[in-house]
Amino acid sequence: MDVGYRATVDSDLIARAAAGDGPAFHALVERHRAMVYRLAFQFAGNHHDAEDIAQDVFIKVYRSLDRFRHDAQVTSWLYRIVMNACIDHRRRSAPAGWAPFTEDAELRMANTPEDGPGPEEQAYGGQLGEVLTSEIARLPPGQRLVFTMRHHEGLKLSEIAGALGLAEGTVKRQLHAAVHRLRAALTSARVTTGGRA
Amino acid sequence: MNACELLDTPDVELYYYDELDPEDGARVAAHLRHCAACRQRLDDLHAIRRALASAPAAEAPPADDWSGFMRRLDEAVGLERPPSGVRTILERHAGQWRARHLVALAALFAIVVTGVIMAARVRSHRPADVVAGGAVTTPPASAHGDSSPDGPDAKSAGAKGERALREVSAEHLERSKLVVLGLAGRDPHETHAADWQFERQLAGTLLPETRLYRLTAQERGVNDVARVMRDLETVLIEASMSDGRDQASLERVQRLIARRGLVSKMQIVASSAGL
Repeated sequence: MDVGYRATVDSDLIARAAAGDGPAFHALVERHRAMVYRLAFQFAGNHHDAEDIAQDVFIKVYRSLDRFRHDAQVTSWLYRIVMNACIDHRRRSAPAGWAPFTEDAELRMANTPEDGPGPEEQAYGGQLGEVLTSEIARLPPGQRLVFTMRHHEGLKLSEIAGALGLAEGTVKRQLHAAVHRLRAALTSARVTTGGRA
Repeated sequence: MNACELLDTPDVELYYYDELDPEDGARVAAHLRHCAACRQRLDDLHAIRRALASAPAAEAPPADDWSGFMRRLDEAVGLERPPSGVRTILERHAGQWRARHLVALAALFAIVVTGVIMAARVRSHRPADVVAGGAVTTPPASAHGDSSPDGPDAKSAGAKGERALREVSAEHLERSKLVVLGLAGRDPHETHAADWQFERQLAGTLLPETRLYRLTAQERGVNDVARVMRDLETVLIEASMSDGRDQASLERVQRLIARRGLVSKMQIVASSAGL
């Protein structure tokens, strides 16, 4: 990162970048890229797609620089863009009929696991962390995002709801459903490994 | 074990994540003291946290190397119109591209002209007369009847010509990919005409070169390049001819891109040229 921008707050970086200051945009990207990448990786489950999603995020950030409301939280703005990029990525690679992340689609998503090996197969071969990581990858996209933002990023549910534009009750239900599935995977792993995990 | 009143509620998770107000938090804490099932649910959450904490977190591309990421990002946003500023990155890049295009097009033109001249010479001379004087195309088989110029020099010149064509084509595809991905990645339901006006304009500017590359590839029998250029040309025509005001026009472009597997084809051809 350009040392000249280390002390510059995000909103000032955005204002400078919007005025055509390339190094300010670079500084903004460098400051947030690890968080964006981490979220994208949690969502996509592999480096290739995580990089694509992170690219999309910062391209969208660049396009929206002049639309950023300076009274808003930069991180909330970024989370929202990350979520949309994840959803767009999922939509592009999903079969027809996949439901976007809306209130109406909540039930459908809650019952639509991703493809992949189940917890039983994973438990035989590996550690509990791998079992749970695998199960997170199989969560429906909405649950996965909410769980990741709460558990990994430490965001409050109200912040997640604000960032994702959802009702807080919806976010609670998504989190509850995600934890319910992870708990089931945990139980299954304990059974199949004889309690070693 | 009897089902407790919190069984189907998110209260234990909210308690664990410290998301309850003090009153509800105290209520759940009291419940946990006498409900083994909910204590187990709480323990599970601790176990999940411990297990996930031990799993490595991916925060960067492999080898923690962001250079490729930053380079591609710069290229991508260099194609966007910055929100303000007197001279845009795009305009600066466009200037460079025009210069590079001129060089590439001049080279291609020289290749094609030389190829035509050599083919004409082959018609009237014996095969040994076909001598490579630099980048020379392989004349079509029909141009010289049964006696094909298959000497080592002619073969070498043909290979050089094809390689040059592949390289300039791959560069063109790299530039075009940004437009194609920009078109493919948009949500038709949330995209207004002004939002993708830039891609439509750029599609129009890429069209003449795409056509030239397709014709050259067809003439030289470089079929994979010809095919991908034909598909790209179709998409660019569709995009540039659209007025962008209806959602269906973007959907049509996206269907074309998907149906023809354009992005994959572009990547394959670009990688075959070593780019």
